[in-house]
Amino acid sequence: MTPPPPATAVTAMIRPAAAPRDSKINRDLLRVMEGTSPGYWLLLAVVVAFVAAAGAVWLWQIYKGLGIAGYVHPVFWGAYIVTFVFWVGIAHAGTLISAILYLFRAKWRNAINRSAEAMTVFAVMTAGLFLGIHVGRIWKAYFILPYPNQRALWVNFKSPLLWDTFAISTYATISIVFLYIGMVPDLAIARDRSTGWRRVLYAVLSLGWQGTSREWKSHSRTVLHLSGLATPLVLSVHSVVSWDFAMAIVPGWHATIFGPYFVAGAIFSGFAMVLTMMIPVRRIFGLEGYITPYHLENMSRFLLLTSLIVGYAYAAEYFIAWYSQVEPEQTSFWYRAFGPYWISTWVMILSNAVAPQLLWFKRLRTSVPFLFVLSIVVNIGMWFERYVIIISGLSREYDPAVWGIYTPSWPEMTIVAGSFAWFSMFFLIFIKLFPVVAIAEVKELDIHARSHGDGGGH
Amino acid sequence: MPLLVGVFDRPDRVADVAKKLRGRGYEDIETYSPAPFAEVDDAVLEKPSRVRIFTLIGGLTGVVTGYAMTIWMAYNWKIVIGGKPFASIPPYTVIAFELTILFGGLLTALGLFVIGRLPRFRRDAAYDARFSGEEFGVSVRCRDRDVPEVDGLLRAHDATEVTLVES
Repeated sequence: MTPPPPATAVTAMIRPAAAPRDSKINRDLLRVMEGTSPGYWLLLAVVVAFVAAAGAVWLWQIYKGLGIAGYVHPVFWGAYIVTFVFWVGIAHAGTLISAILYLFRAKWRNAINRSAEAMTVFAVMTAGLFLGIHVGRIWKAYFILPYPNQRALWVNFKSPLLWDTFAISTYATISIVFLYIGMVPDLAIARDRSTGWRRVLYAVLSLGWQGTSREWKSHSRTVLHLSGLATPLVLSVHSVVSWDFAMAIVPGWHATIFGPYFVAGAIFSGFAMVLTMMIPVRRIFGLEGYITPYHLENMSRFLLLTSLIVGYAYAAEYFIAWYSQVEPEQTSFWYRAFGPYWISTWVMILSNAVAPQLLWFKRLRTSVPFLFVLSIVVNIGMWFERYVIIISGLSREYDPAVWGIYTPSWPEMTIVAGSFAWFSMFFLIFIKLFPVVAIAEVKELDIHARSHGDGGGH
Repeated sequence: MPLLVGVFDRPDRVADVAKKLRGRGYEDIETYSPAPFAEVDDAVLEKPSRVRIFTLIGGLTGVVTGYAMTIWMAYNWKIVIGGKPFASIPPYTVIAFELTILFGGLLTALGLFVIGRLPRFRRDAAYDARFSGEEFGVSVRCRDRDVPEVDGLLRAHDATEVTLVES
């Protein structure tokens, strides 16, 4: 047996480390977080100003009471609940893209899943605010939770509002977990390439991730299981929100179609919001090579599909109202289309069911400016959809003696506008602090294509 | 004991060399990948990750908690609501369902920490920032006299470089 070679000889035998080179994907995608232009600060200042204005109005509402909202008997669910449902809907695209498309192995989701997941978290946060704003006495909002108390009373679990509490808080928690777990490998990438306070931040948040086989194996498994759990969750959350309405006997609300109708509408508006936010981001930060026309076209196909489902639901509601021969239902739907809220109804039908049909044309489906405009139209239409359902339903219930007309007051509309600013504010901060495209997942596809595309490998 | 690191640029070669090394009896090996590649991870650890057990326990805890909490609370202070039984299973199923997802998801995340051994407070000597770039690392701890063989094996699988990190 030959003796082992001396250590010096071994060292001489080993090649020295080459100068470190970094991957193009890292450079391109981490660049988004670097530097802030005056335009960025200006935009951030504008949205913060809107948030501050809305916050001030809310404080005033706490002081004065809900009387400053435009509530008119019998409409006591107004713009706040409309906007709550709107934001819960927006929150659905993120989990759909991350969980359901993950289970279906739709690889195109890799370019957009991170931003969509972040939007989900921010949209749920925004929606959650409205429950607090709507209840008026915010200092008693915790009454909704089942906690041991002196009165020895428990909450009423038979109420859809309780289901909502559990659905929304579960959804918020799981989307934060999903966003964070998915981001850990990317935070390690950022950690290895940053200095100063950012390095400390990413080092802590990345949990010492090194990409070992054990780490990746548990990570993939965790993402798979979270997807498996989040898939029924995303379908349940907006169904539960729809039951807030469908479990009541208000004409126009009491319909079995509400679950799928709301879920489809949620995915529809969520995809529209992803397009609204990502089309400018992709342009400003030069991400056209990562979020390609192919991704945009796939999203527009989703828009088209969900628009058809939503359009079908609109038609089915009218058909059932007529076919049921139930007079209050018929009257309610007649008033929707031709009563005092006819503008909202037609905005909803034209923006959600008619305008997206233009996506049948490939030329329009692949036109980025068109998609941007359409996504905003859809967002407006989906806000009005909830407005129509909630307001027109409540304003004319069974007894004509208690009919009333509700118009949103300016404090309500300020807070609604502030919610868009609040959502944008978090998104603006997010794109400067965290990787807005899932770097490791983009790399996975890239390395896979490179290794198996050049004739080598297996 | 010496620690060698080979740097690779393709996952299939990493998987091959990891299998080959383990076949020769080198068990103390680790790979570093920039992205998940099942072929690489399976070459080092054959068994599927046990995160699934955490998900199962979390989910079952959630469903039991959901029904137990709602039913117990309904009987703890009996109020007839809408003429329904105190233990009304259909509405309580919504709560049980949400808690199944909530507990299942949180325990799955805990599973990542336990099974994936995170957080990790010490950086491996073999780790390099390139491994969060687009390159792969294979680190092997072996006896002094095996260094030439390991070095040769890594190079034979087209390692772009081989470094002796610790001698």
